[in-house]
Amino acid sequence: MMAAETKLPPVLEIIRGNIVKHGNPLAMKGSEVAAWANALKLPEHGDLLFYTGGEYQLLPFIDSLVSTMTHMDQGSKVFSLMMGARNIINKTGINAEKIYASVLAKDRERFNSISYKAAIILQKLGYDLCYAGKKELYSGALLSELGFCEDMESYALKVAEVLKQSRAKTIVCLSPHAAEVFKFVYPKLVKDFPFEIRTFVDLVWEKRHRLPAIKTDKTVVVHDSCRLARELEITEELRDILQSVGVPVREAMSNRQWTTCCGGPNKLLFPDVSHTVATRRVEELEETGADLILTSCPYCLSALQGGQGKDTKTVIEDLIEFLFRGFEA
Amino acid sequence: MADLQKEFNDYTKNLNKASKDENIKKAITRAVKSYRETTAETLDRFPHTPEMAEEVRGIKSNSIAHNSELLKQAMDSVERNKGKAFYAKDKQEALEMTAKIIGTGKTIVKGKSMLGEELSLREYLEEKGNEVWETDLGEFILQLNHEKPMHILSPSIHVPREKVAELFTKFFNKEVPPDIAQEVAVVRDFLREKYFTADVGISGANVVAADTGAMVIIENEGNVRLSTGAPPVHIVLVGIEKIVPTFQEAMKVTEVTWRYAQYGVPGYVNIISGPSKTGDIEKVTTYGAHGPKEFYVIFVDNGRSDMAKEEKFSEALHCLRCGGCMYECPVFQVTAGHFGHVYMSGIGAVWTAFVAGGLEKAAPLVFTCLRCGRCVERCPMKINVPSMIQKLRERVVCG
Repeated sequence: MMAAETKLPPVLEIIRGNIVKHGNPLAMKGSEVAAWANALKLPEHGDLLFYTGGEYQLLPFIDSLVSTMTHMDQGSKVFSLMMGARNIINKTGINAEKIYASVLAKDRERFNSISYKAAIILQKLGYDLCYAGKKELYSGALLSELGFCEDMESYALKVAEVLKQSRAKTIVCLSPHAAEVFKFVYPKLVKDFPFEIRTFVDLVWEKRHRLPAIKTDKTVVVHDSCRLARELEITEELRDILQSVGVPVREAMSNRQWTTCCGGPNKLLFPDVSHTVATRRVEELEETGADLILTSCPYCLSALQGGQGKDTKTVIEDLIEFLFRGFEA
Repeated sequence: MADLQKEFNDYTKNLNKASKDENIKKAITRAVKSYRETTAETLDRFPHTPEMAEEVRGIKSNSIAHNSELLKQAMDSVERNKGKAFYAKDKQEALEMTAKIIGTGKTIVKGKSMLGEELSLREYLEEKGNEVWETDLGEFILQLNHEKPMHILSPSIHVPREKVAELFTKFFNKEVPPDIAQEVAVVRDFLREKYFTADVGISGANVVAADTGAMVIIENEGNVRLSTGAPPVHIVLVGIEKIVPTFQEAMKVTEVTWRYAQYGVPGYVNIISGPSKTGDIEKVTTYGAHGPKEFYVIFVDNGRSDMAKEEKFSEALHCLRCGGCMYECPVFQVTAGHFGHVYMSGIGAVWTAFVAGGLEKAAPLVFTCLRCGRCVERCPMKINVPSMIQKLRERVVCG
């Protein structure tokens, strides 16, 4: 097999560089990513580390990056500008500030609040959380998924250091992508990685009987995230949780381990195809007649929203947002 | 230094166009529905299948581990059956061997074969001055339309009947209405004459039994029976990964293959082990009775043994080519074979990297894959394509 020249599409280089240099895919400051937690004053040390990886917080910015890249390259989308990322950054001046400025405040607030709501839900269920705050680093899942193996090797060590500072035994991840990479990749890269890896869904499921009931006249359909359903094998838990809060669930034709991907994973490189895949998945979910689509993955949430038609009445929410409502009432 | 820019550009343009193509959308949506229904129904009717698939995983894994011994045994068996067996280490050798047997100025009838696509066999033999006819209806349509297959089992999955009528009207130089039965009938009439005047029949094989030298070929149309039975010469081109130790094991692989390949029950399963023969006069075995007098098998490597040596990738050689994964692939569902280079979708990206173009051709495919893993749910061999895709990305990125 011939080795291919590694002249990669610029968007990959930007993301790689940002993760390695700044600890998250969009070069945002740790204090910005952690701002959601300011009022909570979570301790830095504890048994159970609350891990956001910045993923929900960064979502609107990733979408903005994609649309900037897509817009920039009128010809054949991302690929005709394969001249190396540095060039592109120099020539077009893509930077975090620009992207940051182009994101609507309401999106920023919504996605920032998801981490906040998740922490509140877990606390109300009786979990004592600690949090790394502005020191928290993105898990590097994208480095691993996109094949940046050498970068990932050294980056994982940095992340593991921060995780260890918490002195936690267990890490609870909001994103299934983070949970997957911690659970299956980190033990191969980091010699001493003594953590039990759990997901938000997992922990909620264990104490689901303590969840307040949710009164809603909406019908709900679950979109299983591929990583959650197939890699982490969490499917029934979502149904159990919804049942405990008294919400009946409809099932899409493709559900649980047969779930259809939201199209999110190739959004960066093939935004058109990704969008078509997302639209078709939304259609599958809407065929059930449900008013509310619930998922439990930041990328699914963002991709499915992007795939929604303009006139649709269906609402797409993260399970975190939905469950939080029970505590507000 | 290879530059991925052009590869990515052409590919992306194609892929985006395909993802907006209403024909593809309509055809594949229909095909996916039908695939899932037939498969569910036949798995229900033959509930022993998943267990048998697991057994076949063991058979394939053992066969790949002992591939070189099995290859030798299979070649010996073919020779013992009075056939001629060859080993082609790469594409060029396979093509030259085939051309040497055939020569020039011949008429050839050919069955559907992904290996044929991998080798660009038809084009090569045509260049050598032969007339080659694809006899599988889907392949025949593509041959007339100068197109590449869009699915490994249903190559013309994207061409609706109206388009076929248009194509046939032009080719046969008479009005062919957009009626599927009539479209099938004109091709039947046309090819019938070709089978009986052809000098050579070419086929692939779904499975090879090393102990007996039996080539097993699954089909529905009857075109393989005719292509391999009527002409005086039959040449089989088959990948070395298709060899399993025994005839009984070959039958198991065959059954699992057709069940996941939406055959329900296939119209025909051909088992061919040598040239036709008779002993009816004085018990003297004489070769060349009603079927071919000459029987050749070319076992093609072309990167397969390299793949077998790699722990992370050898499992991809277990692929039965049932095509089930493609129906489940969310990207394939909207782009068909445009997500591919000879071989299609995620598993196709792996095959492309090793046997059909190298990492350079595979790179765009490798980054198109969502790594969502639904293909693994469907795959009777449970081939972990997402993990191989990730490893290939590492090779693209880190070298």
